[in-house]
Amino acid sequence: MAEVFIKRDLPLALIFIIGILVIIEFFFPHPALSAIKAELGTWTVIIANVSIFLGLFYMSYAQYRMLQRQKTLSGYIYFITPFVALCLFFIGAAFPGYTSSPQYQWLYQNIYRAQVAMYVSLPLFYCYYAAYRAFRIRSIEALALMLGGLLYTFRQIPLFTYLCPPLHPIGEWVLLVPNVAGGRGAVICVALASIVVGLRTLVGKEVTTIEVR
Amino acid sequence: MSASFWEILGIWVAAFFTFSVLSFLWKDNPYFKFGQQFIVGVVVAHNILFAMKSVYDNAVIPIMTQGRWTLIIPIILGVLMYTRLHRDYAWASKYPTAVLVGTGTGVMVTGILRGQIIDQAKMTVLDVFKSSNPVDIFNGIIILIGVLTSISFFIFTKEHKGPLGISAKIGRIFLMISLGANWSGETVWYLTQMTGRVMFLWHDWIKRAILGIG
Amino acid sequence: MSEKTIWDKIAEFDIRWIYLLTIILIVIPVVHPLGIPIRVSKPVKDFYKTIDELPPGSVVAVSFRGSLGLLDEQEAQFLALWKILFQRDLKVIFYSPTADGEIILDMHLGKKVRPEDYGKKYGIDYVRLGYAPIGEPGEAAFALDIRSIFPTDYKGTPLDEIPMMKNINSWKDIDLLIFQYTACTDVEIVIRQWVVPYNMTVLTMTLGCCGPMTAPYYPKMIKGFLSGSIAGAELEIIGGVPGPGAAMTDAKNLGIFGLIVSLILGNLAYWGRRLSKEGGE
Repeated sequence: MAEVFIKRDLPLALIFIIGILVIIEFFFPHPALSAIKAELGTWTVIIANVSIFLGLFYMSYAQYRMLQRQKTLSGYIYFITPFVALCLFFIGAAFPGYTSSPQYQWLYQNIYRAQVAMYVSLPLFYCYYAAYRAFRIRSIEALALMLGGLLYTFRQIPLFTYLCPPLHPIGEWVLLVPNVAGGRGAVICVALASIVVGLRTLVGKEVTTIEVR
Repeated sequence: MSASFWEILGIWVAAFFTFSVLSFLWKDNPYFKFGQQFIVGVVVAHNILFAMKSVYDNAVIPIMTQGRWTLIIPIILGVLMYTRLHRDYAWASKYPTAVLVGTGTGVMVTGILRGQIIDQAKMTVLDVFKSSNPVDIFNGIIILIGVLTSISFFIFTKEHKGPLGISAKIGRIFLMISLGANWSGETVWYLTQMTGRVMFLWHDWIKRAILGIG
Repeated sequence: MSEKTIWDKIAEFDIRWIYLLTIILIVIPVVHPLGIPIRVSKPVKDFYKTIDELPPGSVVAVSFRGSLGLLDEQEAQFLALWKILFQRDLKVIFYSPTADGEIILDMHLGKKVRPEDYGKKYGIDYVRLGYAPIGEPGEAAFALDIRSIFPTDYKGTPLDEIPMMKNINSWKDIDLLIFQYTACTDVEIVIRQWVVPYNMTVLTMTLGCCGPMTAPYYPKMIKGFLSGSIAGAELEIIGGVPGPGAAMTDAKNLGIFGLIVSLILGNLAYWGRRLSKEGGE
């Protein structure tokens, strides 16, 4: 009984107490409550940072599992590569300036930026492929999707607004009128659902938020 | 201005990793996989380094210089998070998670009600009357109709028939226009990123690193 | 076996030709700029106007959640913004809820945009608070008490020892918040933690794909916003601060034709086949 209380009920009670304190502060901003809210905000930052090495454990475990599936030369190379990258960046940060050092910034700019920027560019081709293979204008909804998309696209590309000046105000109208209409409806509905889930979490109905697998 | 050795080397390294990702367009290959594994290590290292500095700045320094001993509690809670790695003690990690979830839920719920429901509804109605300009009134009416009908689309407890069916269909059209605008924004974003990479390859890799111009 | 119609041939078109066309169309304006003029949109005009109308001595907080991988999309925006802020008699506080934001500030602030060129001094006219991974609770705590999240600046100097920060403690001492973000749903953080509780004047800067999600909050809750690299170019124009935005925007004028060709070919093939089948029947 005590075990269930400590392992399940007390954490759920903690969620409730902390959540209610924060909500009460919003409606009655007493200096003491505001100080508690600020302190809790600081705590979340520190907890998230102290537990950062969990990422390293999970990465190592994922690499180990990957190696078990593929024990070839290439498998071993793929296994060791993230750890080599890790060491390289730790060495970069060992120079004076820590992560502000020119050495670290050289590594980050030329390795991380180059790759991530390219990863974000690739979906361009998949968008074009999807437009070719799947985007069929066979309903009024599909037509609305395409018109909304194209008109807003033309507003963002100067060539079109230069060749056809009315495209600029039309594109802006699409952004600020029908897009706002649909977007606001979605925002309100998502907000209603978020409140329900939030309140369920506070009263302990959503145990999945703190379950450990 | 001639580039230094490290600048040129950096450009070649960046080009190497740029092409490693681009090679995926052809097919999945070892060159791409190597780059992929490398970035995993980079991201983990980067986040660890910044997290360590943040703990030092946000916890260690205030404790030692300002006497904020209460900050020892989140350090202990953060350490408790590691208990989730062992099945028998994983329950202890629920406590720091509870602090995170409780605080996060509390701050979220308070802002949502006014910011994303009441104020949004208020703006929708008041936009119709905000000015005497016929264009503004027309736009306001469109927004009002669009918001009401797109909300009706999300009513899943009643079948979409009759007036509700018509309203939901109109709402779906507004939602599709909104989705189209989002999709367009994404496509142009990807295009911008690709353009940026092409600009790097042309101005930095080809002109500076290979041809030595600029 | 029936002969393939023109519609069948279009349907079997190898998409890689469109990929190649796209790459060529992107390369052309990079190698040979087109110089097409850019028009400034209303959200950008309101963005600039809000900053321009700030009284001298106002305090501007910049929540900088940049990402190094997305620099191509956002660089023009924040370089133009920094120049505009430093041109004016404002007190600017930079803080980075993302690690990349801090790296970008290291790389660009003081190098590509030098506050000293505008007569600004660190600690008197602008301050960098550093990095802390503050999510929504952290943003709420920052608004209530800046020192609860950032007890020191990015160099480790206690905020109380920095002249500019002596009388700046919380949201009450901030006149404008500029919220820069890359995750589209982050706009809700600034609405919930700054606009709703404190009615703070807020401007946002984000990616092109997040602009439509910001529009529902504009102009009552968010006074102006920048969305995508074109907004950066527009801000350069309206602020009179040349930067990389114009070249980037010019370079992507032709690349979008790949999308238009894909849409046309895909729908031609579908409707051509469908109508010719129905005609045959």
